[in-house]
Amino acid sequence: MARFVGYVVKRVLNYIVMIFVATSLTYFLASAFMSPRSNYESRTPRPPQESIEWALDAANLNDKTPIMERYQKWIGDILTKGDFGKTPTGASVNHEISSRIGASVQLMLLATIISIVVGVSLGVYTAQRQYQWQDRFWSGVASLFMVIPTVVLAILIVFFAIEVNTATGTRIFYVTGLSSYSGSNFFIGLLDFLQHILLPTIVLTIISAVGYHLGQRTYLLNEMHADYVRTARAKGLTKKQAIRKHALRASLIPTAVSVAFSIAGIFTGAVMTEKIFAIHGLGEYFINCINNNNIHGAVAVAAFSGACTLVGALLADLFAAALDPRIKMS
Amino acid sequence: MSEEKRQVASPENTDAKTDETHLTNAELELLADELGSSGGEVKRIGYFSLIGRRFVRQRSAMVGLVILIILIILAIFGPYMTPFTYTDPDFTALNVPPNATHWFGTDGGGFDLFASVVHGLGRSLAIGIIYSVLTTIIAAIVGTSIAYVRGVPEKIGMWFLDMLLIIPSFLLVAMVVRASSGTEGWWMLIVGLTAFGWIGYARTLRTMALSLRERDYVRAAKYMGVSPIKTIIRHLIPNLGSILILDTVLGVIGGINSETAYSFLGLGIKAPDTSLGYLLSQGSSAMLSAPWVILIPSIVLIVLCVSMQLIGDGLRDAIDPYSRAAGTVEDDAEEDAATTETAKA
Repeated sequence: MARFVGYVVKRVLNYIVMIFVATSLTYFLASAFMSPRSNYESRTPRPPQESIEWALDAANLNDKTPIMERYQKWIGDILTKGDFGKTPTGASVNHEISSRIGASVQLMLLATIISIVVGVSLGVYTAQRQYQWQDRFWSGVASLFMVIPTVVLAILIVFFAIEVNTATGTRIFYVTGLSSYSGSNFFIGLLDFLQHILLPTIVLTIISAVGYHLGQRTYLLNEMHADYVRTARAKGLTKKQAIRKHALRASLIPTAVSVAFSIAGIFTGAVMTEKIFAIHGLGEYFINCINNNNIHGAVAVAAFSGACTLVGALLADLFAAALDPRIKMS
Repeated sequence: MSEEKRQVASPENTDAKTDETHLTNAELELLADELGSSGGEVKRIGYFSLIGRRFVRQRSAMVGLVILIILIILAIFGPYMTPFTYTDPDFTALNVPPNATHWFGTDGGGFDLFASVVHGLGRSLAIGIIYSVLTTIIAAIVGTSIAYVRGVPEKIGMWFLDMLLIIPSFLLVAMVVRASSGTEGWWMLIVGLTAFGWIGYARTLRTMALSLRERDYVRAAKYMGVSPIKTIIRHLIPNLGSILILDTVLGVIGGINSETAYSFLGLGIKAPDTSLGYLLSQGSSAMLSAPWVILIPSIVLIVLCVSMQLIGDGLRDAIDPYSRAAGTVEDDAEEDAATTETAKA
């Protein structure tokens, strides 16, 4: 147990150093490429020079201050107060991010769960029927969805939803936002939420279920031809029993690893889907940051998603260790 | 060619659906030798012509290749097929559906969609192919080098790759590309995508090179005093060759997808230049009044990506000697027969 704790602590320390270096690197790159000054200079009428300097100084974004000085102040605020700085307009990045995480989680949680269930069960189903028509059909569908760009998929789904809406004359599907009902009736509110979240969930589910499906199929096929499954069959188990009791368990290990990473992804949202469906989550915030020269906002989102990735990596290690009896902590 | 031997090959041709009748590539090769009319002599062919032969055997791969060639021809010669260009709007025809003058219709600004689509198709293809080739080269060199050096440098290298992986490359690419102008944008997009696209791939290739570095020929090269760079270029990278080629083909899809995403978000290719992703973003605002502006670029993108996928799948089956999806040898046999007949005549 002590060795296990030591292992985890070592891992976490390594990850913290990684995040620190990666975030600092992103900060310097963002400062080099983004110019918050242009936000003020392009305004009409152009504000007086002193007020531009003042506003930039207040947000710690003035490019006339040496970069190391700005960096020290910025990293100091994060380490001491957990404050990720200000946007060019002077708003708090912490506040903007925390108000958007909720929307991302609402969107991603459902889609992640459904895609894991659908993807893994399709993978198991098709692997048992390799080269039969079911396998060919679903694998064909999967590889089609895998190569279609996300944008195209989402736009086509929106397009057909609008066609359905006009054809039926009622708004069955909503294609923007997460809710439009402001009353107090819980059930109408729930229905309204479901109408909004249905289409983005379909898009996200298709995108990630395809990966789980093809992955699980490959892993299970690999295990099905392993020696221990043949031994189990030789001892008299039916093919189904051998798969369920032996092959399936081993094949779930790599899937569990990718599930671990997607758990972390719930908090960072989905850039394309949020943009297309006008959901105000972290993914959309990220794009807005880049477009509005919001250096601190962009770096904060980058740091946050980096942290989530590493939490995912740690979870993946733990999942693998829990499932795979061969893995020893070293 | 005797009638008896023909029957050996026919069952798997007529009944290709069941597992048992599928032969692996290696078995197919034996069958092809047997069927060959060179009188029991085993025909020797090089590795790449072998891969080429297995590739040509597969119908779906050939379909993909034909579609891709048609799309490339369209991208190259398309601009000369119409009097309109993607930069000059036709103010007499705003938002018209596809017709004889404007084959794919026009958008709200009067831009001819056919001219825009063929130009965008060229952009997508160029970006996808250049991106894929460059990332493969960088990833191959970095990945194998990290595997070759071993010890502390290897650990440091892997740490840096992991560190670079946790920065969302989306942000970095978008920052680099956004700073560029409209006409130069597509070069900057390639530079940005390549600069941050090779990292995960290099990690995979390093894992694959781990077993290569233990081979005797690598050790022999080392003790013969061959320099590390030469060993990497001459021994490690060529031995990953087939994987590299396959990943280059599939990487094109990734490049095209990224281009579409960035341009759609307004962070990639911008006016006055145009691309399929940019057309989609234009069309999405007028989805109801002018559906053809989004539908046509969408269809072109899907066809392009699916053709690349078919080629990639075909290539994968051709490279894998145990693959059972590689079609039949009948065509080869007929080909052989034809060549020997002409030789006799």
